[in-house]
Amino acid sequence: MSAVFHWRLQVRPQQLSCLHTSASLESKEWEKKNKKVFPPQLPDEPRRPAEVHHSRRQIKYSKDKMWYLAKMIRGMSVDEAVAQLEFNDKKGARIMKEVILEAQEMAVKHHNVEYKSNLYVAESYSGKGTYLKRIRYHGRGMFGIMDKVNCHYFVKLVEGSPPKTEERTSLDHAKEYVQHLKNRTIIHSL
Amino acid sequence: MAMPMRRTLVVLHRATCRRLTNAEASLDVRQPVPLFVPVRTKKRYFIPPAVRARAKPEGNMEAKARAAGIVNRQENYERPINISCTAGIFDPYIPPEGDARLSTLSKEGLKQRGEQIKQSASSQLAIRKIKEHDSLFTTKTFAERAQEIFVEAHNALTQFNKQKIHSLVTERCYPEMTRGNRFKTIHWSFVESLEPPRVVHARCPDMVSKGNLYAQVTVRMHSKQTLAVYDRFGRLMLGSEEQPKDVLEYLVIERHLVNPYGQWRLHGKIVPSWAPAKDPIIKTVMIPGPKLSAVQELDAVNFEVPKPEAVQWYK
Repeated sequence: MSAVFHWRLQVRPQQLSCLHTSASLESKEWEKKNKKVFPPQLPDEPRRPAEVHHSRRQIKYSKDKMWYLAKMIRGMSVDEAVAQLEFNDKKGARIMKEVILEAQEMAVKHHNVEYKSNLYVAESYSGKGTYLKRIRYHGRGMFGIMDKVNCHYFVKLVEGSPPKTEERTSLDHAKEYVQHLKNRTIIHSL
Repeated sequence: MAMPMRRTLVVLHRATCRRLTNAEASLDVRQPVPLFVPVRTKKRYFIPPAVRARAKPEGNMEAKARAAGIVNRQENYERPINISCTAGIFDPYIPPEGDARLSTLSKEGLKQRGEQIKQSASSQLAIRKIKEHDSLFTTKTFAERAQEIFVEAHNALTQFNKQKIHSLVTERCYPEMTRGNRFKTIHWSFVESLEPPRVVHARCPDMVSKGNLYAQVTVRMHSKQTLAVYDRFGRLMLGSEEQPKDVLEYLVIERHLVNPYGQWRLHGKIVPSWAPAKDPIIKTVMIPGPKLSAVQELDAVNFEVPKPEAVQWYK
């Protein structure tokens, strides 16, 4: 059962040039966002809120497990997020708390943020780091390829109070559905 | 996956065929298969790199790297020293108390204005030494030139033109001017000069070896300037665009006399001890309080924020 060489099924060299053009192993795009300088604001413009981007790379944890914690603190104020992570039992929570405190300190020292509590978590997510592959031995000479996982964690703190998300109850959803049904009509009819 | 099974089947078939004689082959009689059949374990198609890399590299790594053409940067254990400027201000000028506070029409004001540099002998000596190396040096023209250097350097700072700033400002002064300014926007303008700039002080120290002369001349400048500093997000941090301020400054200009390509460059500023406090920044800053033990309480009513003592310092 030898593999038949189908040229069309494989990727042509011309197509190869457009693969993997943006992200590479050493790309530090998130950190570069801290270097962007905005032009001076005119006095009648609303005050632009300060933003701080921070990340930690190659954390020895799973990106899927990290995602749960990252999703939990999205939209929280910094103090609330730190409190929640401090009393969470997961390993990733301790690392995330360190990252957020570092980001807060950076914001006050270098990015002209006035009050360190006046920050909220605007974006927070985890990404895949480099994986090391090892053999996991099973019985009967079988083996599995074990992945030693690493992940990155990215967080963006913005100055100001956290935005209020409007809570929609199930009744609101039901009303909207009924209204949608009532809005149905037949166009171009007599 | 089919390959190992096929191989085993082929071997088994061969084994059976060998045993069968011609007569038996026609009758299709099978003898029992020999017990000793080379059956392979499941072939590992993928071996992770860590298993293969157990063998430690032997031989001369240096020679191999050289053969491969890999160049490693040499680690420098030396620290570079810059000799085109001195590290500080030698024998700094102490500005008299109340300079530029008194009106020029009063008696004290006239005395101050009439203060000639001829009072200080060492300054005269220094100026004589400078004239030996640079014959076109006069205090009047130099004062004008100093102001020009100052204005050009600050204009280059607003545009952040590194090459130009380095040519107008010494290496000692450059980090003081530009620290923390990389991600900020600075709007500075020189409105007018209130008094003509004057040379008030001069010194000619020689560093390390005798004859290696550097000249440091202090120029007094009273002028109107506007300054507005914006942070990374375009928000005003300090100063204002429209409101000009009166500024009395003592600039120190330096030149390496022995060097034929030496230029007069801004070396630093002298801030007198009686200088008025600067405007506060548009931000609340937390000053850490005194360290208390677990039992003590902070006396907020009687607590005074510690103020720095009034000392002359040079920037």
